[in-house]
Amino acid sequence: MKLTATLMIAMSAAGFAPAQTSTTAAPGTPTAANLNARLVIGLDPIKRNATGQLTIQDNALDFKSGKEENKLTISSIDDIFIGTETTQSGGKKGTAVKTAAMAAPYGSGRALSLMMRTKVDILTVSYHDPDGAVHGAIFALPIGQAEQMRAQLIQAGAHATLSEEKASARSKP
Amino acid sequence: MKTRRIFVLVAAFSLLAMPGIVPAQTAAKPKLLASAIQIAMVEAGDIQIPAEFRFAVYERLVERLRASGAFQKVYRTGDKAADGVTDLVTLHTKVQGFTEGSQTKRELTTVFGATKVDVDASVTGRDGRVLMDQKITGRVRFFGENLGVTNDLAKRITKLVGATF
Repeated sequence: MKLTATLMIAMSAAGFAPAQTSTTAAPGTPTAANLNARLVIGLDPIKRNATGQLTIQDNALDFKSGKEENKLTISSIDDIFIGTETTQSGGKKGTAVKTAAMAAPYGSGRALSLMMRTKVDILTVSYHDPDGAVHGAIFALPIGQAEQMRAQLIQAGAHATLSEEKASARSKP
Repeated sequence: MKTRRIFVLVAAFSLLAMPGIVPAQTAAKPKLLASAIQIAMVEAGDIQIPAEFRFAVYERLVERLRASGAFQKVYRTGDKAADGVTDLVTLHTKVQGFTEGSQTKRELTTVFGATKVDVDASVTGRDGRVLMDQKITGRVRFFGENLGVTNDLAKRITKLVGATF
């Protein structure tokens, strides 16, 4: 009995371990300088909620989504903020599944809400265009990546006035 | 015969009352005129609100006001091109309160976990005269992430500005 319980705990731990480390140190995961991101808003002509690659290259923050691309020169960045947000996983398919599940009897579909949760980092980049107009580009990044991206942008010469303590703004799940 | 008299009397009173109704219908506030609007950055004051909410409200306001067609031009804050526009008005948004809810709570209970932003939205002219000033609340009650509150707020502000100009 004890042996079975020990085995079950060990197997559970083995199952969880890669998931915990995959966002930090697993080989092949995107680095902060080149990672998958979702544009929440603020980067014309790319549409809202477009997913793509966020990279720092040639002294610019580059977001590429399909055929569309927008490059922000590092010198145009006025400030960088980071935060977190809990969002729904699965994209549009996830929304459809969840909406369908809401029709399940006795509100049992709501349990799906708990399973389809994913926490993301929010990276807000305040920048100005050549006319001086202020813009704010907001990206959702895999958890733990925003701070690295911010550090790399600052290292590349971007302005950031917010202190580290303030930068770790939190939002409730 | 008696019924016909009553009917005539009622009709006569209705006709007499008409002039009283007509001015009430036409008394709607005339719209103000401005060809361009500049959106000022959302001010947080002493209220603790994450930066992404402030920037999302600002971006959505620019987006929605452009789509509304209420103004020929919509300028962002700091835009030098707005300097030469004589009839430019400026939209100021100041956060008065912020309650960050929880998407999980919202979807599980449908009662708790609402995210709410209270703002004071005002429009001023070039001379600093206040042309519109109103308190508006944006909410996200059931579905969607907390940042969705910025869309609701921008929608309400745009509606209000559209009704004024």
